[in-house]
Parts: sequence; structure tokens; C-alpha cells
Amino acid sequence: MQFQSVTCPHCGLLCDDLSVEVSELTVQLNNPLDPTCKHAFEEASLAKGYRPNPLIAGKPASEEQALEKAAELLKTAQLPLISGLIADVQTCREALALAEKLGGVIDHANGASMRKSTSVMQRIGEVKTTLSEVRNRADCVVIFGKNVTDKFPRLLQRVLSPEKSLGNESTKSKKIFIIDISQDGVTRCEQKENITYMFLNYPLLESIIYRFQEIITKEKISNHDIESEELLKLFKIISSSQYTTFIWTTSEFKSESVEHTVQALTEIIKLLMKKIRCVALSLSGSKAEVTANHVATWQTGVSLPVSFTQGVPIHDPVIYDGTKMIHNQETDCLLWISTYNPNDAPPATDIPTIVLGHPKIQCEYADVYLPVGVPGIDHRGLACRTDSVATLPLQKLRDSKLSTASKLVKNIYKLI
Amino acid sequence: MAIKLSGAEIYDPAHKINGERKDLYIVDEKIKTNLSDKDKLEKTYELDDCIIMAGAIDIHTHIGGGKVNIARTMMIEDAHLHPYSSSEICRAGNGHIVPSSFTTGYRYAEMGYTACFEPAVLAVNARQAHMEMADTPMVDKGGYVLLGNDDFLLNMIHEGATQSAINDYVAWILHASQCIGIKVVNAGGIHAFKFNQRRLDVDETGPTGSKPRDIITKLSKAVHELGIAHPLHVHASNLGVPGNFESTLATISAADGLPIHITHIQFHSYGTEGDHKFSSAACAIAEAINNNKNVTADVGQIMFGQTITTSGDTMMQYFGHDHASPKKWTVMDIECEAGCGVTPFKYRDKSFVNALQWAIGLEIFLQVNDPWRVFLTTDHPNGAPFSSYPHLIKLLMDRSFRNDVFSIVNSDAQRVSNLKSMDREYSLYEIAIMTRAAPAKILGLKNHGHLGEGANANITVYRKQDDIEQMFAKPAYVFKNGELIVKDGEIVKTVQGVTHVTKPEYDQAIEKPLTKYFDDYQTISLDNFKISDDEMVECIGSEIEIN
Repeated sequence: MQFQSVTCPHCGLLCDDLSVEVSELTVQLNNPLDPTCKHAFEEASLAKGYRPNPLIAGKPASEEQALEKAAELLKTAQLPLISGLIADVQTCREALALAEKLGGVIDHANGASMRKSTSVMQRIGEVKTTLSEVRNRADCVVIFGKNVTDKFPRLLQRVLSPEKSLGNESTKSKKIFIIDISQDGVTRCEQKENITYMFLNYPLLESIIYRFQEIITKEKISNHDIESEELLKLFKIISSSQYTTFIWTTSEFKSESVEHTVQALTEIIKLLMKKIRCVALSLSGSKAEVTANHVATWQTGVSLPVSFTQGVPIHDPVIYDGTKMIHNQETDCLLWISTYNPNDAPPATDIPTIVLGHPKIQCEYADVYLPVGVPGIDHRGLACRTDSVATLPLQKLRDSKLSTASKLVKNIYKLI
Repeated sequence: MAIKLSGAEIYDPAHKINGERKDLYIVDEKIKTNLSDKDKLEKTYELDDCIIMAGAIDIHTHIGGGKVNIARTMMIEDAHLHPYSSSEICRAGNGHIVPSSFTTGYRYAEMGYTACFEPAVLAVNARQAHMEMADTPMVDKGGYVLLGNDDFLLNMIHEGATQSAINDYVAWILHASQCIGIKVVNAGGIHAFKFNQRRLDVDETGPTGSKPRDIITKLSKAVHELGIAHPLHVHASNLGVPGNFESTLATISAADGLPIHITHIQFHSYGTEGDHKFSSAACAIAEAINNNKNVTADVGQIMFGQTITTSGDTMMQYFGHDHASPKKWTVMDIECEAGCGVTPFKYRDKSFVNALQWAIGLEIFLQVNDPWRVFLTTDHPNGAPFSSYPHLIKLLMDRSFRNDVFSIVNSDAQRVSNLKSMDREYSLYEIAIMTRAAPAKILGLKNHGHLGEGANANITVYRKQDDIEQMFAKPAYVFKNGELIVKDGEIVKTVQGVTHVTKPEYDQAIEKPLTKYFDDYQTISLDNFKISDDEMVECIGSEIEIN
């Protein structure tokens, strides 16, 4: 059976123009022929009649037994942690209710990187845009990091190189710059089709951004080296453009400097905004972290992580960082929810672990494993896009009889 | 099974009942004025020392959608200061200025509100707005979808589309976004800002060649011709700019006599007189409302203290960003549809401008003669959090209290305002009109806002007190669809409201150009843009009620 307008939840772009063929439990992406996306969909295929068993300590159990065991582990824990949270809206809603009831902590697997941008927003705010604005309005695009387009495979095709645009020729054929450091110490700027690759001789991508900030602030250069000259040239191009979009993803930056770098980029944009239009498109959401963070924010009033240990929702990203809590064994029971991809298993740990996971996830070591359906394949759902504006529907494409993660979380809630 | 509410003073303006003592009955979910033989009386509330009004309705409160979540994220200070623990029946939450969704529902219900309407739903963000509202318990909800800065409509107008085609698009967007009304924010201005235009007045031409006046005219006509109960809900041009009352009057005239609702009109009632080049134009605005029966307005009263402004109006939010307090601000261009701007703000009573804004809001309330056409709002959270409504009601009902408060604000503002000379005090009957009967009427909610036979049993019982603010802050009882949900100002049962929508008929041929538009320019398909009725229930989590 053919399904059209299918949404792909495997990166934050949430492209929804997919054509998918489903035959019994086999899922085949027909179009587009993007290898990353294709592979992710195929991972959801199951052999005919296959239905993974719930496991307790690696041994097959009924769903009811596994739920009871999960509830028992969570109920007796001093400080349970719900993490992963790679899931649709409804599962996140139920997980928040459960965390609140348990008096535990809830975070997303990618929480640590996500909140570096959040803290910049809390300090100085943002100037943002969305995918369709970039597609139709932007005549100049500056991408910080050479791997951004690989991490968001259809960014170029769907957003940056549109066949049609609501604007003019300059918004259809955008000036695109991809900036990164030179690998061989030699600055070079190369034009390939409509993309200018600026590989500059700086030690870090962050160094380029800070230098760029200095040039834009002073509107001139003090050192007439080739790198500064190139950045000044870029500043002049931006100054004469109608609508410039800066695109980045924080995983391209050194983790220890992400906050500082995002703040520098935001300050550049706010400075440019005094005279021209310049906006940010910060890309994320490849593990549904945008969805999880949105739901947590509206339900509790604060973004992830959220601790309910004191009876009220508390956002303290230092104390309640989920990844650190697992690493430092500060939690004594982990509920890991991972529904989209078999590779998103929980980190190896001695902590008692319950996994509500993709039917092919590898987690034999978990104390409890409950297989769940994949949102957008086994059941309907909702997912939030990288730009935090569009929420896309996920369709049900097959009848696998796999339980939804949201239902299982709700059942655990009832048992506690 | 029936419940009797015995002996209270009833304020039910829809039936012209002004404080008469009479009994009311609740049978299942509905109000009855008399019991039939088969109705078995289960409980009687003796309410001799009480007054009864229908559940209150807020027609303009920002409670759901992307901008609210941005505000929650940015105002982490608010969350830290106001945490709420869970109880056996209530979920935990945070926030006073921009509360979390559950907390919002509880606080509204505790004040006797039973329905709230989000006035700035972006169609592309409608799922999120509805999800947030679905997670806002206790009250019914609904949304007004934004038009007037979307490229599709602006191009239609520029290309000379027929009114009938525009009507079809307006009806289609209401279906697609599951909303109950149409909202315009700074017509054409948000769009112009994307082209680096920093101001757009009503009769100026925007980048697509249309004028804000054309947009208001076409959309008010569409809303009228489609038979949508709620008039075009308009956030006028030049919000916050001294002298903007002229843009407001021009916006009113653009409706050509058809129904138009000007929202948070206080922010659009400024003159340029005096030493500060900032003055009250409340008199001119009130006169325009009094003289034009097609016009309604909500005030958007400010209160002194910390809040955060959240608006679709990127152009004017950027204009005001230097006044951010704390110093942080966000603006966002959105999907060739609209935008948003979020800026924290602290209204200071010793500031001339803020003190005069406070006075201007009250001057409008007191000078608009017809309480059926002026609505009690603070444009939550832009003027103040909704929890300040009881205080606002006291300011309207108690002249000496009002003057006492005014006497401590900026003295220059006191000197230039004629607020102290205004004797009017609102009556309970008038408060019931502006917070119950009139909102229900203007939204087309036939079974809400009144206490007549067959109305939904959304009822607020206040115990009479000398301090009117205390009375309105903490009702003795609140019933939602016949169930007791609040007692002595505290939640005793949690319930889930519905989402009110309207679905006017239209020619589905409009989907042909829309499909092409989505295919050519958008990054979401038309099919996925539309929210179906079953998706509202199954995925978003709210039943809908079609009005």
C-alpha cells in the first residue's frame, strides 16, 4: 500500500513529502531517495508475523508482567530518571505526568546540547526564522560548519535551492556561503554551483565567528590578512542583501564553547538588525528533542530537564542533567524511552534500567524491555519541527499491534 | 439529579436580570429555571449572602502557542518565583506572568472563568496552540487564526481576487486551523517588516502593493458575509506609537460600517500632545466607539509591575525592544504567514508614560457608554497577567479606590489625565455584561454567558464582600457544565473543557490554488497543514464544539 505526504521524523526538518510503500510489516521509502532517510525507514521493517517480546532481565515476559516490574522498579527508586524521550508529543505528555507522580527527574537524551541555546535565549533573546521564510525570503544564506548540510540532508534541496520562490530571482538563486576552518592551513574560497565554500585559516570555527563579530562591530578590519579580507567581503555582501539567514547546528561547535558561540552569533544578528534584516535558523531536533522540550515547557513552565524531587517543577540544568546523572550514578532507576530508531539505546550502565523502545532496539541488558510502535509508522502522532513553529502529523502506516509508548507509560502511571 | 442554588442575587444581563433574588437549578450539565416532576433534587446551596453570575469568559488572552512557550522559556525568573506543587487532583506547574498550561486553567477557574480565547493562532502553529490549550484544564478554549500578513492573502488582494474567493479562503483557514474567529495583527506590517520596512500606516502601501486598509476592508467583509459570529478581531497598526489614535480611527473606518473588534485598544489610543509628546487620546477613541455601533473593543489594561509582552506584531515589538526589562528580546518571522515578538517589560507607576497608559485604559472603560461593546482584558500577559482582573474590576467599580491608586503614580501623568474627574462606577450588572453576556454574544456562544433555561451550567457564585477585589478573586463556588469545580477559591475537581470552533461553508475549489501555493512555496504539504476533527480528539487531545 502506498502512502503519500508522509512525515519523516528522523531529522528536525520533518520533511513531509515522502512516499512510502508498506507491505504487511515491511516499510520501503520510495521517494525521496535520500540514503539516510531511506535507511531510517527501512529499520522499521519487521518480518512477517514478527512481534518482539517484552523482556524481564533478558527473558520473555508478558506485557503485563513487564509493566508491573517496571512500575515496581520505579516505585521503589529514590531518584528515578526518565530520559531518552525520543518520542512523539503524547508520549512526552504521559512521561511528564509519570515523572511528576514519581517525584523524579525528566530530561532528553540530547538535553545537554539543547539547553546551551536555551540559556542564550534566556539571557539575551533571539532573532529567528522558519524554513518557509528562508525558502522564500532569503537571498543570502551563511552556514556555519561544513557538516550542517550532511546532518540535515534535504536542507539544500527543500529550503535553500527552491525551484520557485515568492520573492525574486535573488531569493530563488540564493547566495549561499558555507564557512569552516581550512584543514591544511591554507585559506581558500571556492565557488561550486551556487555555494561559496569559505575555508579559512583559523584554528576553530568559533574563532572565525568571533573574528566575524569583531569586524561587524567595527565595520572595518584592523589586520589586513586574507581571512579578515574575506570576512569583510562577506559582511559587505550581507549588508547589501535583502534578507540574510545564518544557519548553524550546535553540534558543529566545541561543546564547551557552544553557549558563547551561539551568543556571539545572536549578538551579530541583533547588531545587523539595526539596519538590515538578518535572522537565525538554528537546526536541531534529530532525536525529537524539540518536541520533548516544547511539551515540557508548556506543561511545567520550564524547559528540560525538569525535576519534581521537591514537589514542584524545577529547572536546574546543572544538577539535573540526565546524561550526567546516569554517568555519575545519581539516579537509581532509569526509564529510557526511544521510539524512532533502533540505534538510540540507553547508555550502558549498572543502574536498573527500563526501556520502552523501538522494536529492534538492542537492550538485552535492560532489566525490563517493552517494545513499542514507531510513531509515524505504527501509530499516529505529532512532532515539532526544528524551527519550533510547525507541528507535523505522523501517520499510521501499518497494523503491527505494537503498543504505543504513550499507552505503556500511562499504564505504568496507573500501577504506581 | 438536580442541584438548587437558592436565594442568591442573580446578575444575568442576557435576560435583563439585575440583582433579583431567585432560585436556579442545575440538572445534569444544564441550567433550569424550574424543576420538573422527574428531576430529583440532590443538593441545595443556601446562597442568601451570595451573588450569581454565569461563568466568566475572557475573549483575549495569550494562553497557547509558540510565542507563549517562548515567553515561558525566556521568563525563567517568573517560573523560579512562582512554583506550584501538585495535589491529589491538580498537576504541578510554574509561573504567574506566563503560567504553565495546567496552572493557567486552575487560576482562571479559581477566579470564576469558564472559557478563554487565544487571540493569535498562527495556522501553521495551530496544532501546538491547541495542544497547549488541550493541556489547559477547567475552561473551554478557542482561537482566532491570524490572517492579513500571509503571502497567500496579500497576493490575492494584490491580484484583484474576488471577495467571494477571499471569503472561501477565510472559511478554509478556519476549518484548517480549528479556530472560531479571524484575527489581524498590524495588517500588512508584519509582512512589510520582513522586507526591512520599519513602519506601515493604514493607508501606506506595503511590499506586495496592498494597503492595510484594503486588508481590513476585505477581511471584515469576508467575516461578515460568511456569517462568522465574532467580528474581525483587529490589532491595529502602530501599536504603542505616540499619535497612533489616528491609525486606530482609520482602521475603524476601513471596516466600512461592518462589525469590527479593536483589541487592546488602550495601546492604540495615544496622542502626541504635551511636554512628553505623549498624551491620552482616550476621549477620541471612546467617542468613536460610542458613535459607531459596529465597533467593539477590549481594553488591554496595563497594571504596574513585571510582565512579558508577546505579540504577533514583529514590527512593533522590534520597535519597542530597547525598553525590554530585563534586557532580552526575541523576534521571529514565521512561514510566510506572520511572526512573533516577545519582550519582557516592567510597567512603573513613577514613569510618566506607564502611568498615563494605566490612566488611558481606565479612561476608555469609563467613557465608553455601552458595556456590551467594551471588554475587560489586560491582553494577558502584555498589559498584565490575567490574575489582575479582580483588581481591575475594583478600579472600575470603586471611584475612591481608583483615585487613591492614581494619586501615587507619576505626578505629571496625574496632571494631564482627566481620570479623577470621572465619576462613573461600574455596577455588578455592567461587570456581568462585559465579562459574561457580551463575550458570549460576540463569540456566538449561545449556551454560555447567561443563566437562562438550557444554558450550559457554567456558574460562578460570589460571596458578597465589602472588598470587591477579594470577592472576584475568590468565588464561593464555580460550576462547570454542572459540576462543582471550585469551592472557596480552591479547585475541588478537575475537568476538561472543549475547543470552540466555527465552520462556515465555502467552495472547496479554493484548495486548487492553495495546493499549488503549498507545493510551490511552503515546506509543509496542504494535507498536513490541515487539522482534522478526529486529529483534534485523538492526537491533540480536545473535543471540539462547532458554533
